[in-house]
Amino acid sequence: MTVGIVVVSHSRALADAAVGLAGEMVRDGGPVEVAAGLDDGGFGTDAVAIADALARAEQGDGVVVLMDLGSAVLSAELALELLDDAAAERVVLCPAPLVEGLVVAAVSAAGGAPAAEVAAEAADALEAKTTHLAPPGTGPGPAPEAATGDEERGVFTVRTAHGVHARPAARLVGALRGLDADVRLRNLTLDGPEVSAASMSKVATLGALEGHEVAVRARGAEAGEAVRRLLAVADDDFGEAPEATAAAAPSPPAAAPAGGPLPASPGIGVGPVRAVRAVPVDVPPARPGTPAEQRARLDGARAAVRDDLRAVRDRAAREIGEAEAAVFDAQLLLLDDPDVLTDATARTDAGADAARAWADVLDEVEARFAGAADEYLRARARDVRDVRDRVLRALGGVEHPGAGGEGILVADDLTPADAAALDPARTPAVVLAGSSPTAHAAILLRARGVPAVVGAGAALITRARQAAVVAVDGTTGEVVVDPDPATLAAFRDRAGALERRREAARRRAHEPAVTRDGTRVLVGANVGGPGDARAAVGADLAGLVRTEFCFLDRHRAPDVDEQETAYRAIAEAMGGRVTLRTLDVGGDKPLDYLPLPPEPNPFLGVRGIRLALARPRLLADQLEAIVRVAHDHPVDVMFPMVATVDELVAARRALDDAVGAVGRGRPPDLRVGIMVEIPATALKAAAFAPLVDFLSIGTNDLTQYALAAERGNDAVAALGDALDPGVLALVAATADGARSGDDVLVAVCGELAGDEQAAALLVGLGVRELSVAPTAVAAVKQAVRDVDLASARELAAAALRCPDAEAVRGLLR
Amino acid sequence: MADVDVLDLTVLDRWLRLFAASVAEQKDTLTALDAAIGDADHGANMHRGMTAVVEALDATPPADPAALFKQTGMVLVRSVGGASGPLYGTFFLRMAPATGGAGALEPETFAKALRAGVEGVVARGKAEPGDKTMLDALAPALDALDAALAAGESLAAALRQASTAADEGRDATTPLVARKGRASYLGERSADHQDPGATSAALLVGAAAAAVAGP
Repeated sequence: MTVGIVVVSHSRALADAAVGLAGEMVRDGGPVEVAAGLDDGGFGTDAVAIADALARAEQGDGVVVLMDLGSAVLSAELALELLDDAAAERVVLCPAPLVEGLVVAAVSAAGGAPAAEVAAEAADALEAKTTHLAPPGTGPGPAPEAATGDEERGVFTVRTAHGVHARPAARLVGALRGLDADVRLRNLTLDGPEVSAASMSKVATLGALEGHEVAVRARGAEAGEAVRRLLAVADDDFGEAPEATAAAAPSPPAAAPAGGPLPASPGIGVGPVRAVRAVPVDVPPARPGTPAEQRARLDGARAAVRDDLRAVRDRAAREIGEAEAAVFDAQLLLLDDPDVLTDATARTDAGADAARAWADVLDEVEARFAGAADEYLRARARDVRDVRDRVLRALGGVEHPGAGGEGILVADDLTPADAAALDPARTPAVVLAGSSPTAHAAILLRARGVPAVVGAGAALITRARQAAVVAVDGTTGEVVVDPDPATLAAFRDRAGALERRREAARRRAHEPAVTRDGTRVLVGANVGGPGDARAAVGADLAGLVRTEFCFLDRHRAPDVDEQETAYRAIAEAMGGRVTLRTLDVGGDKPLDYLPLPPEPNPFLGVRGIRLALARPRLLADQLEAIVRVAHDHPVDVMFPMVATVDELVAARRALDDAVGAVGRGRPPDLRVGIMVEIPATALKAAAFAPLVDFLSIGTNDLTQYALAAERGNDAVAALGDALDPGVLALVAATADGARSGDDVLVAVCGELAGDEQAAALLVGLGVRELSVAPTAVAAVKQAVRDVDLASARELAAAALRCPDAEAVRGLLR
Repeated sequence: MADVDVLDLTVLDRWLRLFAASVAEQKDTLTALDAAIGDADHGANMHRGMTAVVEALDATPPADPAALFKQTGMVLVRSVGGASGPLYGTFFLRMAPATGGAGALEPETFAKALRAGVEGVVARGKAEPGDKTMLDALAPALDALDAALAAGESLAAALRQASTAADEGRDATTPLVARKGRASYLGERSADHQDPGATSAALLVGAAAAAVAGP
């Protein structure tokens, strides 16, 4: 049974947002169609559009319509007249309030209820709120007496983290559907009224939280089966398990690696040890205060942590990109998780100290993760701990060891937040017992220029913690504990040589990067905002401008003027060519004004150009802003996540439309290219080449797609090595395919481009532009100057014959 | 040009264009009335809708009165946006079948079609006379039209009387308390304001009278 839903509203934005909200509740719901607003973007409803939406939503099992007010109702009624009678009969116009009704209807429909029941459930949607807001003692009376017959009884205890909220309630109701039994539930713990188990919204009024006991009473021919099924779904935690909270928790730490210390961020550091142990922050001593004062203290501490995490998040977004920064979004979500807050407030209301309440609630959340069957979830427990500790510190707990202090940081592992927060000037190097070179922390350390060795193992770390001085070479992976004078001198020499090399690179930063044999390689900067553009000293261009910075942290899309101003600022700060990548977001990070249906795997879902083509208005505005700037500055427009030539053709057509809309003709120096991130795109490069001026390989995504290893999942991140010969073969295929076009430039704008040791390999594979973190521009230029094209080609050929990334890395040393 | 006694396509086309012109002229007045008791969009909505109706008449001239009413209704439904979209849309959509497929409408047929349209408005909006809606202009207009035709008056005279009745009905909405639509949210505060829907409905009847009148 798949009942469709149609949302009718005066406002497109309201309808889209309501659909997004409902989508939070349902993972694989049926079709939800929107008929809202007028074609010109204004407020209004349109009966013809509603009739079209009804046709789209109809899967054969009927459609339920939720409406806002006034003409929405009239237009919906008129729409039924526009349908044929048979179709109109399957449509139910539901009088429920739009938001409450839609949420309930979406859950009910996803549970397989027929249209009339979906509508009835939705119509009752106000009940939970009404009951909640009713003065005590005025709640609903007992449910009417159940049908006659033998009565079956049972009791279950709620174990789900957030109680029987909408999703478990839907499971519960769904389990009983179709049974000939009248089933009643009563919350014994709250001594509440009996309600019907057939109604999702009634079940939600039980207020059954974790630990509550619920009595079941059933009558009817199948009463026994009903109770059995109900107890079974309760025993299965309503299918929730701990992953319901896992969605809000950040990434896990790396599994302990085998194979000894690994270089994770180049450079040399020598110095005293600053040991950081993964011990819980002590709960600070209680401070007296009323519940309101305790709550205010907790809110204040959370606000401070929220600011910190946002700052760290923004830095991560600038330095390594939005995908990686998403880990902090998860921590921010946990910080503001309504269930966590409800729990904490209940404790402070009962007289608990703010810090104690927070620590206890988060300890419970952490324990649930730690007790999970799934290793990935277990590993997330420490990220919960990180949020716990941050708030406790803000409430007066011990000083944060990650950010403060001076010396070589020695730790079991480092959270991305700590990596992003530490001060490079006071941290000569980092040594970690676990983690991997591809973990978030390592990526951040590289971006921030902090030498690092990871996977050093527990024994080495234990010795290092007790040492006075440690010497670290993040280029080779060497870690020497309490070095003797000769070793110390050797490290200092190496460090001196490196520093001289960097100094030379800095001096020549503004010179072009030309190989020994005279091949020019452009070195650009990856830019996430005007600040980065100014920091990119010596960059030949901005090879990747992540325009997402214009779109994030706001409630409505930036208009054309605003985008023009932002892009112009970057073009002016750079002074050279800027490659503006069109908006690259997906279901993993929906924007307020761009609600996206939840996808089980957003990295394989509607993102990049797929999203842009689905939201032509958004793309049109962005392209118009880009074209305006292109009349005054050399500009590349780059489309992300392109998989097919058709997508590129459609995107180019949109660009032509934008040129038309600006009305000043085609800017003469406007170039067009695509990101090569999808393996199939790399292999089809010859088909794309005639339609582009450049192909820019995003090695981060290309690697995760080619090796089927998600970057955000540290448990498999080590697989996702951009030096894997399979990935290099895709780079080679892109460069080969590019030759079928007319002078098509091949660029690399992923992490790999910033690896000085990989410069020769990439040039040998045919890459002629490297776009890197702003701080790496000078060093990469210098690395290019050491390249000899003939030997680089031999190196590339040898690398393509290697069995694994480790062997490739061996060739580069 | 003398008064006409049947409503052929030319006359009906003129009716709609005259209505569009008065809406355009009264746009700000309609919006100001709606600003007092509604959401300040009636003038703009009706203007957008009637502009689209005229464009459609130019682009695809209908073959008969039924087609003209149907096309007009659909265009209004698509383009008005507010409650007047489905209400005026229903009005014209219900008029179409009541013409019986005639190429030109006798006065009685026209009155019958108007009656069908107004019944559609009542069914759609669930309004009753005195609710401070467009019905308060349309219902007395229809009654006046029927009475005049029954008394043997000419089409032009009958529509003139209908127009007068519509204007009086419109004026009579001023002291009323709204019971339908956005204005009903205001309760007693909606009194002392002329209803914008009744105002545009009176323009519609007035345009019909003008369309059949001689120069």
